[in-house]
Formats: sequence, structure tokens, C-alpha cells
Amino acid sequence: MNSVSGEPPRLSVVVPLFNEVGNIVPLVDAIRSALVDQGPWELLLVDDGSTDGTADAIRELTAGDHRITLIRLGRNYGQATALQAGFDAAVGSIVVSLDGDLQNDPADIPALIHTLREQDYDLVAGYRVGRQDPTHRRIPSAIANAIVRMLTGVRIRDTGCTLRAYRRELLQGLHLYSDLHRFLPAVAVAVRGARVTEMPVRHLPRFSGESKYGLRRTPKVIIDLIVLRAIHSFRERPLAMFAQGALLAIICGLLSGYPEIFTGGFPDSRFSLILLALPFIWLELAGFLILLGLMAEVALSWQRSARPSTPLLVRRRG
Amino acid sequence: MATVRKTFNPAAGTAQGMSGAASINPAMADDPSFISVLVPVWERPEPLRPLYEEYAAPLRQAGKRFEFVFICEPGYQADIAELLNLAQAGEPIRVLQVSRNLDEASLYHTVATDSLGPVVVTLPAYRRIEADYLPRLIDRVLQGTDLVVARRWPRRDSWINRWQNRSLHFLLRWTVGGKFRDVACGVQAMRREVLLSTPVYGDSFRFFGLLAQQSGFRVEEMDAPQHLGDRRARLYRPSLYIRRLVDLLGIYVILRFTTRPLRFFGPIGVSLILIGLGLLLLILIRGLGPVSGTGRVVLLAGVFLLVLGIQAVAIGIIGEMMVFLQAPARTRYRVVERVN
Repeated sequence: MNSVSGEPPRLSVVVPLFNEVGNIVPLVDAIRSALVDQGPWELLLVDDGSTDGTADAIRELTAGDHRITLIRLGRNYGQATALQAGFDAAVGSIVVSLDGDLQNDPADIPALIHTLREQDYDLVAGYRVGRQDPTHRRIPSAIANAIVRMLTGVRIRDTGCTLRAYRRELLQGLHLYSDLHRFLPAVAVAVRGARVTEMPVRHLPRFSGESKYGLRRTPKVIIDLIVLRAIHSFRERPLAMFAQGALLAIICGLLSGYPEIFTGGFPDSRFSLILLALPFIWLELAGFLILLGLMAEVALSWQRSARPSTPLLVRRRG
Repeated sequence: MATVRKTFNPAAGTAQGMSGAASINPAMADDPSFISVLVPVWERPEPLRPLYEEYAAPLRQAGKRFEFVFICEPGYQADIAELLNLAQAGEPIRVLQVSRNLDEASLYHTVATDSLGPVVVTLPAYRRIEADYLPRLIDRVLQGTDLVVARRWPRRDSWINRWQNRSLHFLLRWTVGGKFRDVACGVQAMRREVLLSTPVYGDSFRFFGLLAQQSGFRVEEMDAPQHLGDRRARLYRPSLYIRRLVDLLGIYVILRFTTRPLRFFGPIGVSLILIGLGLLLLILIRGLGPVSGTGRVVLLAGVFLLVLGIQAVAIGIIGEMMVFLQAPARTRYRVVERVN
């Protein structure tokens, strides 16, 4: 019971922080102001292994306000895990996440919550208007967002915006790791059949501290997108994904073997064995992919017998 | 599965039996500074009685409450008999013997499921550091550090040993980072939770400090003068060095890519695919038709690399799916403090 009134909080705000000591006080002040009319709430500040005294700054704030909780992690795990730690500790029926760099404006939180409650969504994602980032960050971000939309079919235009509101039962079935938090709306749709929408939120210039993101993350984002595609489409039928690849390999094998098999080979026979090897390499790939797919099915089957699949969200009407 | 035969010192207050059931001796749990010194007896143990006497003496002098737990592979009957005599004479010694040969991690795991004190020290069955420094490692743990790894310093051994050690740590820093300078020393003091919670198996125990750090524990390295008995030059057969390199590769992948295997396999696969495509493009650009000998070799190499690259990416995707499926069962973070 963290709220001032003694009631259990209905709203939990989760903020992952890494070396943001200069932003803590203004961030908490802004959140307090934004949540004045939101009933009992709690603020979970997750210190993700900061080395600049962020935890000390939070500890001071917790002494004067029992709605504020410090969760300090053993090392720097990354934003997804820090968010997960906050989600695990949250008790409110609605959970809001935002960045700790003050580039998200906490004043947008009430509107997100209102949309979530009134329009019966499971997740409301903010998309940043008037972005304060330099062009070299905005362009890759726009491309990544377009690819995510194309791959997943989830119409979210800003996957990089952490300011989001969720129903807690949605989060209970999701487990964030690596950099999965960026694609949380898409994962929520794929895994739990969540109802997701988006709304514009403000984006402010950085008040203090340094950005932890840059162009060097681009290859990682591309790899994450491949993962997302695999999870989104083939989570329950991995063999189908690998079978598609195997089919392509078989076609390549047949095409590369066509001259040797059907036309009696090339006139120069010195290296004809080499060409003859080509279709077998492709067929070996096809076999390998099928075997991998089968192995994935076996692993999935064992997994499902040990623990049922994460259930879809079900609404009880009436 | 190996069975465990236990022999206890009745004075230590633990029951006798043959089971491997996990328990924590209430007497030990009551004393937050009770120390269990674990000595795995395998590989190249030195005579155990003098080893025990040398390392127990400074603990006793420092007023510590402790026990030594020797976990032995099959054999070593003479040593065990001596230890049992000591136990009969009232020394705080327990001996556990497994029914078949195990690796170091499994030996420690066998002990970890038995009753242990709140502070655990791992001590190889051969001398590594000066015994007088053992209490200092323990004191650091009692002051709040989760795991203290002894660094043999100053070193007194041959340049060959030092060069090998430096090479290992150069590779470690290059691959997984970290600041360890003697991570494989083997003498470590820790809170019991560190031993119980750090996932370790096979030969990875030699990188225990790194794995514990990865699990979110506070880990420190502390200088302790190298024991004179540890100074002989050690040169191993080539297969062991190859095994160590494989261990290093394993630990590199475990530490950096456990939750994101595609980030390891993906770049390798994509690189191979690009090289393969480049070779195929070369055939087109340079007009190396499949009829010419060079053209055929390049064609084969191109396709081979392409296929290999696709396989690497496919393995990475399988890994990602497994991680995704396993994610709900694993808590991948450690909370060290919660206020309010």
C-alpha cells in the first residue's frame, strides 16, 4: 500500500533509469504534478545498475514519499529487463512506462490512461510528435518503424517510444528480455491478442545526461526485427517457417542441377563434379532446415506440455 | 546420476546417511559468519591432511567458526582415511564421496545441495595462495561483497605460468570484458546464495567470477600472495589448450548472447551470405562462366558460403525461439535493494 491515502494504488508508473541522476528530481516532480487527479498511484523507479549516484538520489526521494519505490538491480541489465523488474513489482491495474530522461512528458500520462479506460484497449502506445532527436537518429528510427509495421501488421508508428499505458493482466503474460521492449505492442498482439492503439505524445529536448542510443544499434535492431518476424508468424508452428526456407533451397538445388542432370552436363568435364555438387549442397541445406524445424517442434511440444501457452486476453462482457 | 556417500563428524551436529537431500543445518544458519570451506578432490590433489591443517590454522587463529567439506571422486582412500581420523579426533571435517568421476562444477553442485554455512569458501585441493590470506577474503564477504575471488599476487611462479595466465586474461578481456586478472585461481569466498544461484556447469566453474557477476552479484578480486607450492612451471598437452579455447568461446557466448543468440549467429551468417553472394556476383561481373575451371570453383565456394550463412542464421533463429519460450520460466535480473 504505497499510496498516501492508504488505498492500494490503482496506477503504477514504471521508470527504468540508468545514469540519470540529474533528471530524477524534475522527473518525479513532473510525475507528481501529472498524477494529481489520478487517484492512488505508485511510482516504481528501477535503477538499472547506475554508477552516477542515481540510486542515492532516488533513496532520498523515497524517504519523503511512500508512493515512490526504489528497485535497484545488481548490474546494468538493459532497458527491457529493467522494465520487466518494474512490471513484476507493479500492483496497479493500469501500468504506465516512460523513459527516465525527461524526453517523455509525464503530463501525457492522464490522456493515455483515459484512452485505455474509456476505449477499452489493452495497450495505448504513445508516438512522439515534434521529435527533438537529430536527423541521424530519426531516419533509421522511421525506417525501423516502417519495417516493423510491414512485418507485423501492427499499425504502430513509433516503436521506440517508451511512454505507454498497459492493463496489468496483459503484462502478466509477457516477459521482456534483450531489447524486446521496443516491440512490445507487436509482441502483445502476436502473443496475447491484445487490443492496441496509439496516440500522440510530446517529445522534449534532453534536460540532463547523455543519450544511450545511437546509430550503432541499427544492426541489432535489424536482428531484433528478424526475431520479431519469427515470433510473430511462427511461434506456434516453427516447422512451417523452416519448411518455406527448405522449399526455396530445393528449388535452387533443382535449378543448379538442371544442366548436369537433364542435359548431360557441360562439355568440359574436368570440373563437372564440382557443378554436380551444387544441387547436393542446396538439398543438404533443405534437409538441415527441415531437421531444425522438426527440432523446434519437439522443443515447443515439450515446452507446451510443461507449461501451457500464454493465454489470449479474454474480456467478459455483460 | 552419481550417488553420494557421506561421512560426518558427529561433533559438527549433522546427521549421517546416504541421501543427497538439500538442507541447511540450523546451527550453521543461526551463525551468519559460519564458514563452509569446500575442497573438491579431483584432478591433481595434494596430500589432504597437511592441506587441511595449513588452511584451517589461520581460520582458527582468526576466531572463525568453520567446517571443511571434502568432496571426493572415487579413489583417494588413503587420504579419506586420514581425514576421517581427523574428524574422529574432533576436527570440523566432513567427507562426501561421489560414486563416479564428475567435473568440477558438478562436484560443487553436489556439495551445494548439502548443508552449508552462510559463507562458503572454495579451495582447490592444491595450494594456490598463502593460507594466512584466507580470513581476509572471508572478512570482505562479511563486510558485504557477494563474492571475493583471490588473485595470486605477487606471483612467485615461472614466466611460463605467468605468460599463460596473461594470455588467458587478455583473451577474456577482449571477448567478454571484465577486469579479472586471475579469474581461474579457484580460491573464492562468497555468500552461500552466490553458489546456489549462479548457473554453472562443466568446465565453466573456472569462470565462476564472471558468471556470478553476470547474475548480478557484487564481485571483487583481492590480492593474495601466491603459495610457494604453486610456483612450478605448468605445461599441458596441446589438447588441453584447445579445450580451454573452446571453454573461452563457450563462456563468451554464454555471457554475451544467452538471451539473444541471433546476435551471435546472425552477423556470422549474414557475413557468410554476403561473401557467398559476392563470389557469385564476381562470376557475373568477371565473366567467369560455369564452364571455366576457376568459375566452377568460385561458384561452388559462393554457394557453399551462402548455404553455411543461411544455416548459421537458422540456428540463431531456433535459439531465439527457445529463449522466447523459456523466458517466462527464468528471472533474469537480481534486485539488490528495494526501498518502500
